[in-house]
Amino acid sequence: MTAVDVLIVGGGLTGCATAWHLAERGASVMLVEAGELNGGASGQNAGSLHFQIERRFLENGPALAEQASRVLALNRLAIQDWRALDQQFGPAMEIVMHGGLMVAESDAEVALLERKAAREAEFGVPTQLLDGAGVAAIAPYLSPGIRAATWLADEGHANPRTITRLLAARAIEGGAEVRSHTRLADIGRSAIGFQVTLASGEGREQVRADRVLLATGAATMRTGVLFNLHLPVFPAGLTMTATERTAPMIGHLVQHVGRRLSMKQAESGNILIGGGWASRLQRGETGFDLSRPATIDPEALRANLKAAADTVPRVAALNIIRSWTGIVALTADQLPLVGAVSRVPGLYVAAGGSGFTLGPTFARLLAAEMAGERGGDGELALFSPDRFDHLNGFMG
Amino acid sequence: MSGMFDLAIVGGGPAGQAAAQIACAAGLGVVMLDEQPRMGGQILRQPPSTLGVRDWLPGATYDDLKAQLHRSEALPGLDWRGGVSVLGLFRDADGFQLLATGRDGRLTIAARRVLVAAGCYDMPTAFPGWTLPGVMSAGGVQAFLKSQQVVPGKRFVLAGTHPLQLLVADQLRKAGADVAGVHFAQGLGAMVGQLLRDPLLPLGNLRPFRDAAAAFVNLRRAGVAVRFGQRLVRAIGSERLEAAEFADGTRIACDVLATCYGFLPQADLPRQAGCAMQRCERTGGLAAVIDRWQRSSVQGLSAAGETTGVAGAEVALREGRLAAIGILLADGLLSESEAERRAAPIRRELAKLQRFADLLARIADPRTAIAGLADDATILCRCEDVTRGALIRAIRATAGPEDASALKLVSRAGMGVCQGRSCEHAVRALLAEQGAAPGGGFTARFPARPVAIADLID
Amino acid sequence: MSHRIATHHPEPILIRVDGAEVTALPGEMLASALLAADQPVFRADLEGQARGMFCNMGTCGECFVTVEALGRPPRRLRACLVPVELGMEVWRG
Repeated sequence: MTAVDVLIVGGGLTGCATAWHLAERGASVMLVEAGELNGGASGQNAGSLHFQIERRFLENGPALAEQASRVLALNRLAIQDWRALDQQFGPAMEIVMHGGLMVAESDAEVALLERKAAREAEFGVPTQLLDGAGVAAIAPYLSPGIRAATWLADEGHANPRTITRLLAARAIEGGAEVRSHTRLADIGRSAIGFQVTLASGEGREQVRADRVLLATGAATMRTGVLFNLHLPVFPAGLTMTATERTAPMIGHLVQHVGRRLSMKQAESGNILIGGGWASRLQRGETGFDLSRPATIDPEALRANLKAAADTVPRVAALNIIRSWTGIVALTADQLPLVGAVSRVPGLYVAAGGSGFTLGPTFARLLAAEMAGERGGDGELALFSPDRFDHLNGFMG
Repeated sequence: MSGMFDLAIVGGGPAGQAAAQIACAAGLGVVMLDEQPRMGGQILRQPPSTLGVRDWLPGATYDDLKAQLHRSEALPGLDWRGGVSVLGLFRDADGFQLLATGRDGRLTIAARRVLVAAGCYDMPTAFPGWTLPGVMSAGGVQAFLKSQQVVPGKRFVLAGTHPLQLLVADQLRKAGADVAGVHFAQGLGAMVGQLLRDPLLPLGNLRPFRDAAAAFVNLRRAGVAVRFGQRLVRAIGSERLEAAEFADGTRIACDVLATCYGFLPQADLPRQAGCAMQRCERTGGLAAVIDRWQRSSVQGLSAAGETTGVAGAEVALREGRLAAIGILLADGLLSESEAERRAAPIRRELAKLQRFADLLARIADPRTAIAGLADDATILCRCEDVTRGALIRAIRATAGPEDASALKLVSRAGMGVCQGRSCEHAVRALLAEQGAAPGGGFTARFPARPVAIADLID
Repeated sequence: MSHRIATHHPEPILIRVDGAEVTALPGEMLASALLAADQPVFRADLEGQARGMFCNMGTCGECFVTVEALGRPPRRLRACLVPVELGMEVWRG
């Protein structure tokens, strides 16, 4: 029987990056992915590197905003991690960090920006508040209706279609075994670790693993079942849209504090538009069917495009060529679920929220923790799955 | 918005027209949408009413179709919307919402049922030089003649495997073009061999064969060379096409090279809607899977004509009739027995026609002719300029993609303005050649045609 | 050199293509007017190579041009599907 130090379940960004870090440390690693590598949210998102407080944290009242803003400590690390990836992998990842703006139009939005900037300063994220003239100087492509913005010089975007596979390739070069189209069929636990049954087109196979990481995104609730656990991560469908290629127009990541919107221009010249507009999850027999893509909601799509054209008027004349959907994972308190699951020794999880921007950081910190390295600053403490342990009082 | 239609028909060709006649006669509220300004489909793509045309599309092949077209254009109760591109189909509680754009911007059509009869398009075939201006699909060249009364060049070379090129060449010749030759990659013996495989087929009764034979004779009489076993290998030119080169080294000077290797179903809308699809064996196109009433796997969505597999106008119009009868049956406007009674003769004709369609597909089989045509520097994805070599490198990379959709994301092939209509079949063939399983093709996305943001949000 | 074969047609109109006047027939598509004017190049690809019409049925996207018709904002449209109009301005590329 194959025996590995770590079995990683899920071939998305976090899973592949963790495999790479662990392989570099000399651990024996196997990564299994039920479908194609990068087939989930890691490859479906629009590639924003956003380090300001997210709008979704601000739209559900001050208490939640207060708690959620604590993720900023991680954002600071993520800036460093993306710069490091850029150095280690070069242009193939198309990492561009030329700055990002979160814009405001109304008085209320300007006031919200001010409070947000103050909170960011508290956590050491160097956001700058700009007035209308200041914004226009940096981003003349924005609508004259934009009255203020917060600017963060480190924001930007990267290519979500290639990054995960580049990380997987490094993991493989470092000795990790990566298997796609292979799913977790069963799990048995013993004093010496996990007995894992893998299933693929070639049949079934037993693998013994000391530790298991579930990096299964929106499917985490389902993979938790194999461990008799509630891992409370909820799927949500999102919509993104690409325009045809066009000459350089938008040099930054653009978000809106009062409307759901993110925009950026990829290296290829296409403008990518998203920002959290819903797509519809398909229903299955016993819940949402995550094996089928979420479907476009035309009204949500139009609202998203309206927000884009209101913010950057020149995009109105551009053709869109493709709208696509992805399924992301959310938690009840909006913070990701990352770290060891105390109820099942040896089990780790990483899912839920901003998995593209924060994935490299989750991976680096998790790899260190799983490799037994001490001396970290407890950066992941806030995201411990144990905060929902009460759900598992009768489980495990 | 104009209320709820009983039936929205996408495509104004023979299949759509045939369905509209039956549906309108039964009192259904029917809307028909097509990208062309006038009804007809590609087979009868009409010139603008402003142009005077002598003897438009003469011949028996076109006569019945023209008669149906004229009846359809005068059909009371049919709401015709020409110049409209359908971008997406969305299911709701009442049926479907069709999001479309035209000259006046966005159009939303609500319909209880939808029939997609969107026709087909020429299979784009990649070979060195095929992106030069002047290299066109034979169907595209023919459309300039038929619908625009324009001879789109001076000296024409036709090449491929499909007998349609004989008709196009003859039409070009009649319009005064210099046709330098028609080139079949397959040998004459192979073509005749296919004909003889089913000796009981009364080919003389079948119009496509009769027309191809007549065109062949006309071309020969006019001194136009029709060559067999002449495989096109390269288009030559710098800023525009200058010559076509064949496997035996022959070079023929021309400013238009029309390629004719077969046709792929227009199936963006059923694919977007999640219909079950099947692969066309010889061309690699994806066709909607339908039941005996032309119903797709998606409730309320039917398909007819080339969208369900390329078999020609005669098959298409009968499938359109069958689809409409199936819809009347589902609506309770026909009893089961009445529907079966009306469908029976149509099914008999279809069974016979399908044998001819299969024969034609065998004769025109492009696979041998196009295998190995593209070299590593040849662009397969015309929109994103992705070469065969780049795709092979992507497939072979460590942790590389295994299916067509994953290869698209890594390589950008299929991510441009045509959304893979030009390259998908070639990308899937390449994956298979490289030992991978291409899967179901690229994931079809909204919008089916590019659309300006302003036109969507206004 | 392309040519037209209509037996009769309305008075030709002028459109502007990249600033230069091109004669067109009312009712015909922009792509036809361009080919009839012996202008087969519609754009340059990423390598700067010339590209022209391919499918002429709205499917391949090779003929996208920027069109500004009188009284309408500019749009990127398929030349094979756009009827010419008096005063139309067209930019290729």
